[in-house]
Amino acid sequence: MSYNMMDYRKKYQIIVPVLSLLALVFLFFPFVSKGDYSMSLFSLFLASIGMDGNTLAAATIKNYSLTKLIFILPVILLVVSAILPFVAHKKSSYHITDIALVISLACHFLIMVSICKKVNATGLLGSKFYVKNFQFTFWIEAILLFVALFQSFKATKSSIVHIILAVLSIIWVSPILWVIMTSFRGETGSYFTSFWPTKWTLSNYTRLFTETDIFNFPRWFLNTFIIACFSCIISSFYVLAVSFSMSRMRFKMRKPFMNIALILGMFPGFMSMIAIYYILKGVGLTEGVLKMVSLVLVYSGGAGLGFYIAKGFFDTIPKSIDEAASIDGATKFQIFWQITIPLSKPIIVYTLVTSFMGPWLDFIFCRVIAGTDAKYFTVAVGLWNMLTKENIQAFYTRFFAGAVLVSIPISILFIATQKYYSDGLSGAVKG
Amino acid sequence: MAGKKNAVGSKAFPTEYTVTNALKKGDLVTKLSAVIFGLGNLVHGQIIKGLIFLAAEIAYIIYMVSFGVGQLSLLPSLGHIKDQQQIFNEETQLFEYVQPDNSMLILLYSVITLFLTAALILVLRASLKSAYEAQYRKANNMTIPSFKEDIAIAFDKKLHRTLLSLPCLGIVLFTIMPLVFMILMAFTDYDRTNKDNTFDWVGLVNFKKVLDFGGEFGKTFWPVLGWTIIWAIFATLLNYIFGMILALTINRKDVKYKSFWRFCFILSVAIPQFVSLLAINQMLQSPSGALNVLLQDMGFLETPYQFFGSAQNPLSARVLVIIVNLWVGIPYTLLTTTGILQNIPAELYESAKVDGANPFVTFVKITLPYMLFVTAPSLIQSFIGNINNFNVIFLLTGGAPATSEYYKSTAGKTDLLVTWLYKLTIDNQDYSYGAVIGILVFIISITFSLTVYRRTGSYKNEEGFQ
Repeated sequence: MSYNMMDYRKKYQIIVPVLSLLALVFLFFPFVSKGDYSMSLFSLFLASIGMDGNTLAAATIKNYSLTKLIFILPVILLVVSAILPFVAHKKSSYHITDIALVISLACHFLIMVSICKKVNATGLLGSKFYVKNFQFTFWIEAILLFVALFQSFKATKSSIVHIILAVLSIIWVSPILWVIMTSFRGETGSYFTSFWPTKWTLSNYTRLFTETDIFNFPRWFLNTFIIACFSCIISSFYVLAVSFSMSRMRFKMRKPFMNIALILGMFPGFMSMIAIYYILKGVGLTEGVLKMVSLVLVYSGGAGLGFYIAKGFFDTIPKSIDEAASIDGATKFQIFWQITIPLSKPIIVYTLVTSFMGPWLDFIFCRVIAGTDAKYFTVAVGLWNMLTKENIQAFYTRFFAGAVLVSIPISILFIATQKYYSDGLSGAVKG
Repeated sequence: MAGKKNAVGSKAFPTEYTVTNALKKGDLVTKLSAVIFGLGNLVHGQIIKGLIFLAAEIAYIIYMVSFGVGQLSLLPSLGHIKDQQQIFNEETQLFEYVQPDNSMLILLYSVITLFLTAALILVLRASLKSAYEAQYRKANNMTIPSFKEDIAIAFDKKLHRTLLSLPCLGIVLFTIMPLVFMILMAFTDYDRTNKDNTFDWVGLVNFKKVLDFGGEFGKTFWPVLGWTIIWAIFATLLNYIFGMILALTINRKDVKYKSFWRFCFILSVAIPQFVSLLAINQMLQSPSGALNVLLQDMGFLETPYQFFGSAQNPLSARVLVIIVNLWVGIPYTLLTTTGILQNIPAELYESAKVDGANPFVTFVKITLPYMLFVTAPSLIQSFIGNINNFNVIFLLTGGAPATSEYYKSTAGKTDLLVTWLYKLTIDNQDYSYGAVIGILVFIISITFSLTVYRRTGSYKNEEGFQ
């Protein structure tokens, strides 16, 4: 391995500086050019440090709201990364080159995403300028930098994977960040002309709790909480009872029951929703507060079918424990209540949390059962209603505020129980 | 005979007290217990138990006489009066309006009555068995358990019955009964044209309509089915493979801050789907969506891009939902496979390395077969889950782009069978067609899972990877 390592470094000492120098050369070529005006990164660099670039560069820099550093940094860093491999031979210098390259790449990205608007704002070009109008020199330079970056990563044995993971994470997290950002937006309506908010505010949150005449968010929250608590208790009992019976007891209907559960799972879940609605209506459970009772029943009624994970967990508890207790005169119920349950903390937490989260996530059943009566909405249906055509103009930003408020407890619960989830899959007694 | 007696006496096989035995070997009292529930128990001193059986029977008879029989008798016709009628009343010498029968309620109450009857048969069997047991025990000079002892048994040997009774009741009431109701609906003509909930049996006509290639429905059903299957294949396989590659990447030895990376991805699973998918839906709107605004701000786009496509060009919307589903699904795969991937024997990888296999070959020849072997059942499940993936489609596109090619514009180009089913039943009251589609989805799901499961390695050769 160490032989390979040395090999890489020797190669690297040549490759990275060459690439960086090439990239430096391309800095002098114009990347915006239209009519009489053109501008290179170097002229922008000059304009930002106060020297005479050219007319377009000076005009662009003038209305540049972001820090002008992003034009200064890449040039300096490119020079540093080109020279450093020759000067230093210690490993630490490679890290400096890495950092230099990462920063200049980031700067290039920022320039790319921000410059068009500023160039257009100068009004010098006549027609609008788009990213696709960039001269090829810009792209060549960016590619060279990227390759150099990869090479230096390879040489220092810090994994390129980190960059890929960072890019992917940004993709995965950005919609969430966008939700949070929009919840603090000060503008009204649902159509914003700029991506970044021009005004920030907390009023989206406060109005959720103060303006409750049309959409009563605190009440929805309370509704959901009550429904979730009851259905959590009932369905956890159902799940644990069924999975204990399936795992620890042997009886004639055991296999048929498990097969029936499998077959029932194959029907589209809400095919029967309308039927459930009419049954509940027939019994008179679809008026007023009783809507909440029927929601609890709906969420917990069929819970017994979801016994597979808990059964798998109970299967891992050695039977010998049961037998020993049985010899000591324990009844089956005592085994269930005093031995199995205390041993099954992970799966109980998991079952409790998943059934608690159900009502927060579902909106199909609630939509059918609660109908149009906003008083008995759960948060999911309520928030969904904020985005309908009639309401979207008034409630757009409040939707995101509400979404953030719901997401926080739910994600905390979910992430906190991840441990229990994997423990639940791997069993109670570890080898 | 001695052996049998022994078996009964040792209490190990309570199933020896069967209904057939009761009817064959029981005395008159036992046999009469089939008619008067609990008689055997009452005669042998188990008063409370006997009374409970009797009460159940009486309650059933009262229900049937007062209500049930009437409903059941209407079941074959689903109500005689189909239209609002004007009937001349002889007594008052006036015309009176007679409301049509509510077939929906007749069907509903009939189903409930049938389930109650099934429950009564179970009570009947229990009564017979219990009477026979009491008789048998008396004849063999064994103690007949008192009610208290019965309860003790319910918490010991028969604990499964006690534990399962409530959950089963819930399943019957909230899953099986509604399903039966809905399945029956498939054989009626209950669609948007029926006013006043009045409808009739029509046999298999709806199935014919839906499956007919040239018909109005067939022209919607087959394309939607085709897209559903394409969607399910892409959504399942891409999520599975990319999710696994991501998990492998994070598992690499040279990756630092593993839990941080995992956290970033799993965050998207932790957020409720109605939040994340509705947010993405809003981001992708045209022209006001954030992504369009951003891309125009940055100068990538001159005019807003129609992410959700149009009826003429549904491809863009279809590709979009598959891509967004990657965002939803990859973290799930990461979550479920990380642990299993770490269980793959390290020697397999080391020997592959010695043989000079590159990462791609290692993935295709070692990781994938191993994972397919271990996770085949869950892969089948996720395929079925994707056929029924309501949330992603409904929240993300709502089935858009809408098209008039499909039956009364009820479905859009990204609608799956389930979202179409939802629109048919909830938005358009086409209950009968909705029910047919539900049944067809069920048939597709069950045939697929049975045939594929039998072909998987984990079914054919359980020792394959050990």
